[in-house]
Amino acid sequence: MNDRDTLLGDIRVLDLSDEKGVYCTKLLADLGADVLRIEPPCGHPMRDLGPFVHDEPHPEKSLYWFHFNTSKRGITLNLEHADGRAIFGRLVRTADVVVETFSPGYMESLGLAYGTLKEWNPALILTSITPFGQTGPHKDLAGCDMVVQAMGGLMFLAGFPEDPPYRLGGSQAYHSGSVQAAVGTMVALYARETTGVGQHVDVSLQESVLMSLETAVQHYDMRREIRTRIGREEPVVPGIGMYSCADGHVFSYVVAGFGASWDVIVQWMESEGKAGDLKDPKWNEVWDLITNFRQLIALANDPPRLMARLQQFGHIHGLLKEFLAGKTKQQIFEEAAARRIMIVPVQNAKDIVESPQFQALDFLTPVEHPELGRTLQYPGPPYYEISETAWRISRRAPLVGEHNIEVYADELGLTRKQLAALKSAGAI
Amino acid sequence: MEQGTLPFEGIRVCDFSWFAAAPVATKILADNGAQVIKMESATHPDGIRMASPLTPGKEEGLNVSGWFNNQNSSKICLGLNLAHPRAKDVYDRLIMASDVVVENFSPRMKDRLGLNYEDYAAKKPDLIWVDQPMQGLVGPHRNRAGFGAVITPLGGLSFLSGYAHRPPIGTGTNYTDYCINPGQLAVALIAVLRRRKKTGRGQHIVMAQVASAATILETAILDYTVNGRIQERGGNRIAHASPHGCYRCRGENRDCTVVTSLGPTPGRKNERWCVIAVFNDAQWQGFRRALGNPPWTRDPRFATLLGRKENEDELDRLVGEWTATHSPEEVTALLQKEGVPAGIVQDAEDILVRDPHLMSRGYYVYLDHPETGHSAYDGIPYKLSETPGRLSRPAPRIGEHTEYVCREVLGMSEEDINLLVVEGVLEIG
Repeated sequence: MNDRDTLLGDIRVLDLSDEKGVYCTKLLADLGADVLRIEPPCGHPMRDLGPFVHDEPHPEKSLYWFHFNTSKRGITLNLEHADGRAIFGRLVRTADVVVETFSPGYMESLGLAYGTLKEWNPALILTSITPFGQTGPHKDLAGCDMVVQAMGGLMFLAGFPEDPPYRLGGSQAYHSGSVQAAVGTMVALYARETTGVGQHVDVSLQESVLMSLETAVQHYDMRREIRTRIGREEPVVPGIGMYSCADGHVFSYVVAGFGASWDVIVQWMESEGKAGDLKDPKWNEVWDLITNFRQLIALANDPPRLMARLQQFGHIHGLLKEFLAGKTKQQIFEEAAARRIMIVPVQNAKDIVESPQFQALDFLTPVEHPELGRTLQYPGPPYYEISETAWRISRRAPLVGEHNIEVYADELGLTRKQLAALKSAGAI
Repeated sequence: MEQGTLPFEGIRVCDFSWFAAAPVATKILADNGAQVIKMESATHPDGIRMASPLTPGKEEGLNVSGWFNNQNSSKICLGLNLAHPRAKDVYDRLIMASDVVVENFSPRMKDRLGLNYEDYAAKKPDLIWVDQPMQGLVGPHRNRAGFGAVITPLGGLSFLSGYAHRPPIGTGTNYTDYCINPGQLAVALIAVLRRRKKTGRGQHIVMAQVASAATILETAILDYTVNGRIQERGGNRIAHASPHGCYRCRGENRDCTVVTSLGPTPGRKNERWCVIAVFNDAQWQGFRRALGNPPWTRDPRFATLLGRKENEDELDRLVGEWTATHSPEEVTALLQKEGVPAGIVQDAEDILVRDPHLMSRGYYVYLDHPETGHSAYDGIPYKLSETPGRLSRPAPRIGEHTEYVCREVLGMSEEDINLLVVEGVLEIG
């Protein structure tokens, strides 16, 4: 697997992750690392997660499994069996990285503490991803994506103040933890080039989402202000917020100095006879105010002055709202972009797949599934170009135990007889 | 602060990036030892320098934004007016003296500044170059600029977040700017740096921020391309757990200042919520024990996951009645004692000064900045046992390191520096 045209072709990763860390190993695998996806003998429980191909629940048809295990090879191994652990020990000696997401202390209880792995392979990097990290009073708390999004502050910032907080879609705590773990693992791999030794990378999902609180912590630290969710169905400042349209919603971000501003928007509305009285010079001082970045920020920090403006803002906002309501979201996107106005559609999966921009970026990536007799279209690379070592999905997710023979017999030199014995003992 | 060798010591980054996603990526390099040289001027500052929160009483300054400072720890700043016709003489020299170049302009602006990888790589083949425009360098939308606030809706996350009956208002932040975009970029960039050690050659990395954003939607894209289904947002509910929600708790009822859509407003700290997640029947038994087995929890309709899913509205109402009489800390302690995933919906105060766990792990780092004083910075969310990174300095003031960079990195004479300052090419902060 030492493919010279891949970025991480010389790196082997043993993947013991569940949902919390499985995106970390996908990131490494799609950059060419040889990721050995280790599953219990009966298959990983992640295979039970839907949706499924044609909604047919089956361990080899989970789209969740497919999506997060691209470019990996798969072996079955029972770490709770002594023979399984012995084989794991042999694999550790061939590996550069182990990624695991067990509760703190579990690996140790199996005799697989970092210290032991390090004795077997001093260059090994062990990356541990848990809800709260390996140390501290909350290290043993039970966590899931939602609990981490709550404890990590993301939920307090998302949504409308009149509704209960919600978790962001797409398991963002798991994604964030996996991304940060991949960064930490790469830093450790880079450092190893100089030091020659590995290290333990401790990733807390909670800490992984904190940077995404944007300025909330700094608001509190510097000004004792608590940021909360401020979503509104009607934006306060016209042009900054969400608007309904004929087939969904658009998000408008007409901010001073970035793209065209209100003179262009009013012309656009005027061209369809929908500018109302906005051409009247009486509005000039309002345009001056809301097209000046600094003044706008000062206004946003001065509630009484902002309140005094609400009637004017509401009038402008109402006309814009009416103007946009009759158009489709893609129509608004095109017409706004032609005028360099920053209004974008709130896109769903279909919009993304059909978007000419995503098509130009070759976002969809075909992956063959011979067992299904078809090629499935996967979401593509986060980076669409790395000039000499392209991102790619090298293979579909592995079937249960698909590479047992390749790894155990061909690489480790176990005989078929030994493999049969290990299988009946429940070790692989 | 302890001194140890950091992994990227000796790596120099010529950093044209501004606003958020790319600067957060270069922060990763800087906090791990790279010399990241940011270029801006008071004439054309990084716009985030003007954004809230600003140090009270110093709101007019360019060095007092907590937002900017947090994203630019460990970096230094060359005061260079990129719009000046002679600026290119300076940044060309800096590029040739660097290992990595990072820019996140729109392709239009990038071309105007003459920042084309090929031109420089021809002269310096070991150069690593990152373009991180919002939409990519190709395609019909390539010149449409924007922020994380529009990337989140464009990339599909807003549509999947929130309650089914409510509009897709999104994350409340420029979400993809802080972890997803910069983290994915850093993974590729560090891998390319590592490969360069072996091959001696640099590479060109291009990241389209919208594409990056659309890779973290779990199965939403695949479910559409395979099953033709458009996944919808479903609030806090998920298919394989119940209850799985956010519930109001007893408030503290004390004064505080809340940043609402109308700005900072006097409020009460009574917005307190918890989350509870019950994935299996064992956790349901734990949930019942934590509540002291009240009669409603013995209702046979709630005995199985299927039954709880079918009666979820009523279940959520009853759970909410219980949580309303407790603080989120009490709810969390009672449920966690029984092994049930539960937590506090923490606000920034909870996180910075009341979370004993985060404090014991020392995630937030306090640095002394000459204009903003002693203030909290996000630390490093991956703890490396042997080469832990460190925030080596607070964010730079604008032009703070002009003389240092010109003299020590570019080898310019005092006379040359002064001349460029007089001409308005360089600024000394």
